Amino acid sequence: MRRGRILGAGALVVALGFCGTGAWTYAQARTDEGLAFSRERDTALAEGRDRLTVLNSLDASTREHAAAGIRAWRDASTGPLRTELGRTTPAVGASARATVTEAALTALDTRAGTAKLIATVRVDVTPRGGGAATTDRKRLEAVLTRTGEDTWRVAALSAVPVAGAEENEDE
Amino acid sequence: MTRLLRRTTTARSTEPATDGGEAPEQPEETAVATTRTPAVATTRTPAVAAAEAPGDAAPEAPGGATTLVEGEPEATDGDAEVPVRSFPATWQKAALVSAVAALLLAGSAFFHGAHQLTSTSSARNHALTDAGATARVGGDVGEGLARIFSYTPASDDAVERSAGTVLAGRAARQYADLFAQVRAKLVEQRITLSTQTVRTGVIELDEDSARLLVFLDQTSRRDDARQDEPTATSAAAQLTVTAKFQGERWLIVDIKAR
Repeated sequence: MRRGRILGAGALVVALGFCGTGAWTYAQARTDEGLAFSRERDTALAEGRDRLTVLNSLDASTREHAAAGIRAWRDASTGPLRTELGRTTPAVGASARATVTEAALTALDTRAGTAKLIATVRVDVTPRGGGAATTDRKRLEAVLTRTGEDTWRVAALSAVPVAGAEENEDE
Repeated sequence: MTRLLRRTTTARSTEPATDGGEAPEQPEETAVATTRTPAVATTRTPAVAAAEAPGDAAPEAPGGATTLVEGEPEATDGDAEVPVRSFPATWQKAALVSAVAALLLAGSAFFHGAHQLTSTSSARNHALTDAGATARVGGDVGEGLARIFSYTPASDDAVERSAGTVLAGRAARQYADLFAQVRAKLVEQRITLSTQTVRTGVIELDEDSARLLVFLDQTSRRDDARQDEPTATSAAAQLTVTAKFQGERWLIVDIKAR
């Protein structure tokens, strides 16, 4: 009886210790800054890719589609870029469909909620009325701003120019 | 409490046979009441019993009361002791076992959760999280690319030599093929190539392998004897580079144009 009690108490203590250690490890992992940073980085990168795809695409086959495309641009951007894009008037013209072929973050400040991203984008441009599509490759640099929980929008977008290129061929 | 006492006394008074014959069962019932309020039991029971059954219980009642008082020490020692301990003992055992099981389960769940959190591809990727390592791989790869894609007629073999310290695996073979193709032209036209790394972004980084996106600018100058000024053309290149950490530095093992 007594031995059984001691055994029982021992088992309980060991189980308590095990559970406690588990909880501590979990809490540690949950609040780990490095892990939180990793998650933020991957979110920013994924969001950035999506936003760049939207910003480099436009279906301008009809005026309505173009207007919807410009609304999508505004939704993908923030700050000065959003203001700038808002001034664009929808018009029927060549349509573009973009694919981000590769993207990487070059800087991330989780506290300030800003990130810098570089990306290579392939843009298939279809002329108005549907002719032969041409493919254009761009290299872009974007500044991302966190606008909400897990939401990043493009605050600035520019092509990375070729240094000292007067006879610019590729860009 | 009084109702309980009343029930036990009436039970005893209505069944006089059990009073004497089945002694062990009765104390068990009364013991609960008597151990808690012995004073009430001793003072009240006879009166209540007398009031309830004046007819035949009246002569029995004092007897019942005395057995009750007498049986009390016996009841607490023997019969009451065993139920109070053994009944909760099985309970206790069950509670203990389930508590231990629950704790072990919860602990396992916590460990599993923690493992889940730390072993995701996101957590294993040290790009930007490890600022030092990120800068290092970016520097090694950027500098290596700038070196192998630069060429001056004067340092013809230096490029190939530096390629050996920068490239490995598939990238080394790719480069050898490419260089074999353009070399004749480079030598003949006295072309100077200079390459700068414009942007470097680390996509993935773990202990000894990394994937990077690199933007390069390449300017080629032709020292044409017929023209006074050398003509220069610039081109942009976007590469996805895979690098492995070998020895003391990052070596480029694969290059893909984007």
